[in-house]
Amino acid sequence: MRFMLILIGPEGGWEDITPEQMAEEMKNWERFGKESVEAGAFIAGDGLQPTGEGKTVRGGRDEERVITDGPFAESKEQVGGFYLLECQGMDEALEWAKRVPIRGGAIEVRPVMDYAEYGYEDPAEAGATPAKS
Amino acid sequence: MKYVLALISEEGGMEDASPEEMKAVMDRWDSYTRKAVENGAFIAGDALQPSATASTVKIKEGEEPVVSDGPFAESKEQLGGFYLFECKDMGEAIEYAKGIPFHDGTVEVRPVMDFTDLGYEDFDPGPVKAAA
Repeated sequence: MRFMLILIGPEGGWEDITPEQMAEEMKNWERFGKESVEAGAFIAGDGLQPTGEGKTVRGGRDEERVITDGPFAESKEQVGGFYLLECQGMDEALEWAKRVPIRGGAIEVRPVMDYAEYGYEDPAEAGATPAKS
Repeated sequence: MKYVLALISEEGGMEDASPEEMKAVMDRWDSYTRKAVENGAFIAGDALQPSATASTVKIKEGEEPVVSDGPFAESKEQLGGFYLFECKDMGEAIEYAKGIPFHDGTVEVRPVMDFTDLGYEDFDPGPVKAAA
């Protein structure tokens, strides 16, 4: 079963960090990445650039889409990254979430749609991330 | 360059859809994704179950993580899915965002961090890249 770990926290706080501190922080993330790969859980994951670099596209199909600078919600806490993990169940996903090396923030853990319920053998047939080989 | 398209919309509305209506919706998403795969843009993408199925883990350095039921933010509009695309720039990513077959909703487009800028080798996700 697939879970998305959505990493949410205050933006910034990195401006005054030394290269040594940065390297130390990065080691924690590398370790989490490696461990989740070795456990066979890791499907995808990335850190996002600050919301100031983002753009938001509003509207549905058959409508003119409206593009604005910045994130969907102007709030202090923003999505800063994500992991897509293969886990046995919510409990395992929560164990991974507890170990995500963010300094402060929250991880929203969401089960991914179960495509098998709709008759798809491989999620890729439903247009989703392919099953792991 | 990699971009995340975060798909945000009001939840629900599909409860009374007939199997035919459901299939028409799924077909639209299917053809959207197929095109992205054929263009070589698709890296990953999934739909999420409703936010009521979520658990949220609050983390503070030096403290025990606290687990609660439900999403981080209780709001009418919630993240419902995502795509991770390889695009040449923000302009191309926006074109993909405009094509999302939403009935109604919002796509937040965010460039992914490039850690090679900071001297790190690209983290190899392995199987997904191979499968895509």
